[in-house]
Amino acid sequence: MAGPIINDTPVKTHEHKITIDPITRLEGHGKIEIFLNDAGNVENAYLQIPELRGFERFCIGRHVMELPVLTNRLCGVCPAAHHLASTKTLDAVFSAEPTPTAKKLRELFYMGQYTHSHIAHFYALAAPDFVLGPSAPASKRNVLGVVDAVGVPIGAEVIKHRSYGQKVQEIVGGRATHPVFGLPGGVSKQISEEERVQMETMAKSCVEFGKFTVKLFKDIVLANKDYMGIVLNTDAFYMESYYMGMVDKNNKTNFYDGDIRVVDQTGKQIERFRPSEYLDVIAEHVEPWTYMKMPYLKKVGWKGFVTGPQSGIYRVGPLGRINVCTGYTTPLAQKEYEIFRKTMSDLGVKGPAHHTLAYHWARVIELQYATEHMLELASDKSITSPDIRGKFNEPKEGVGIVEAPRGTLIHHYAADKNGLTTKINMIVATTNNYAAINTSVRQAAKALIKDGMVSPGLLNKVEMAFRCYDPCNSCGTHSLNCGPALEVVVKDKNGSVLSTQRNF
Amino acid sequence: MRTLVLGVGNPILSDDGVGIHAARLLKEMRLPGVDVEELAASGLELLDLVLGYDKVIIIDAIQTKGGTPGETRVLAEKDFERAVHGSSPHGINIATALALGRRIVPERMPKEVIFFAVEAEDLVDVNERLTARVEAALPEIVRKVEDEIKRT
Repeated sequence: MAGPIINDTPVKTHEHKITIDPITRLEGHGKIEIFLNDAGNVENAYLQIPELRGFERFCIGRHVMELPVLTNRLCGVCPAAHHLASTKTLDAVFSAEPTPTAKKLRELFYMGQYTHSHIAHFYALAAPDFVLGPSAPASKRNVLGVVDAVGVPIGAEVIKHRSYGQKVQEIVGGRATHPVFGLPGGVSKQISEEERVQMETMAKSCVEFGKFTVKLFKDIVLANKDYMGIVLNTDAFYMESYYMGMVDKNNKTNFYDGDIRVVDQTGKQIERFRPSEYLDVIAEHVEPWTYMKMPYLKKVGWKGFVTGPQSGIYRVGPLGRINVCTGYTTPLAQKEYEIFRKTMSDLGVKGPAHHTLAYHWARVIELQYATEHMLELASDKSITSPDIRGKFNEPKEGVGIVEAPRGTLIHHYAADKNGLTTKINMIVATTNNYAAINTSVRQAAKALIKDGMVSPGLLNKVEMAFRCYDPCNSCGTHSLNCGPALEVVVKDKNGSVLSTQRNF
Repeated sequence: MRTLVLGVGNPILSDDGVGIHAARLLKEMRLPGVDVEELAASGLELLDLVLGYDKVIIIDAIQTKGGTPGETRVLAEKDFERAVHGSSPHGINIATALALGRRIVPERMPKEVIFFAVEAEDLVDVNERLTARVEAALPEIVRKVEDEIKRT
């Protein structure tokens, strides 16, 4: 195969505003606007989410038991994460402790979600930049181009294992995409021995595919010095922020349950909280030009789109999680974690990895963990026990948190004595990351666009600063519409459109 | 001959759910040799569902300039050739997913994929019901899909 196309030739623009915008419709998408000054350098850049959010209002007055099935309609990509966050919130609302079997089944189901979500992101969304190159023509820089480059047999493995993740979700969750099994204190469906064996077989294959993916990532990215040049470009893709993620009692990553840990720019723990305490830690900032709120660390404060210890901006998702944990509970992922740390340390990094594109590396390590943990759970014969439902009490107020593939996901409901919803608040992964994504996009634009010189490849590198977060604007605004594309608009300081770049 | 009718959309987003609403009516009819599924996602999830069928009929919402709500267009895969996305921030569209399937697992792909694209009026408001004109068109949509199933 031909090598990836990493750079293209920028041409001089006399325009002052660049917009990256997906579609002409006004919902379901994000739009990046880049403003240039007279010298053609970047004055400012914004990721706008021009969407409405009406979801929470819609839920008021509905029975709280409906919420796991309603909130999972927020998104067609990570409904399992919403379903599980919602189910855990019902545990809290009904003071219900799930049985050990129910906990295992929920977690097994969730490893299925992580497996297919991380596979889809890496191969369909991230790999085009790495396999074909950030400056390859847009018509080639997609999943079909990746298959052309790596070959049909690998493409078939991708489809197969993504599908296995989905299948595990279906067997445990009752439906492949929008699950229905979560109940306060448990789950609604018992697993048969036959189903367990089927899942064990699929999980074994997924572990091998996880190994393959981690190796592929190392071969195409870490072994390519041009890519490493991009990854290590601290002007464009480096941000000293706080990090947030869920950990178990030993500070190992946990996607399903645990405390939420926050570390500072040096890796020192500054917060460790239970779900019910999230409002003590997180506050939300509002900007007039976008519908999405921007959470920040309350005790540090909002200082605008700046980095460093004085700014309360934090990051969640794979990079956030790898920076707050001390590793993984499974052997292969732990080994990869140690390689990650050693590589960073050899690069002179002490404490957290602040390299924005390291999100991709953390994501493939998490894929390995999810597959190994899926195998551990599917091999456990006790998961077929009929003991799947615990006791529950009168409804009240409660909070549930899981780590969605894209980061920390918080649901918070209150119900009256009849179980009708009186209050609902959600802070989703992409919202947690929103201020950071904005900062990253602005930083990449400033570093890469100089003297009015732009090209599709350069603008795609600005998009890479956005894409690595795997943002879901639909979830972030609760607008129920997953917009798949993006448009970049360049404007002058007066707001006139200078050039437009689309990826569709 | 195995046929799949697939309703695509979000059932709590007004007319975006028209495909789901139509699919539910078709499911109640228990047509022989026909499976009916709902999908509130697109891309790779869709690919999983269509594999192994001979014929797939997808019912989904569409919004076109000057279109009349409830009006139905019948489209084929080739109509989407120019709609294939580049790498996007968050997912791949139906056309790309089908093209991917044809490349990777051609032998398991349906011979024919037909789209019933129903013009939507409201794709923004959170609502479990369709708007009046789309709701009124539902029996006609179902009848057209039934005719398409019988055609083979």
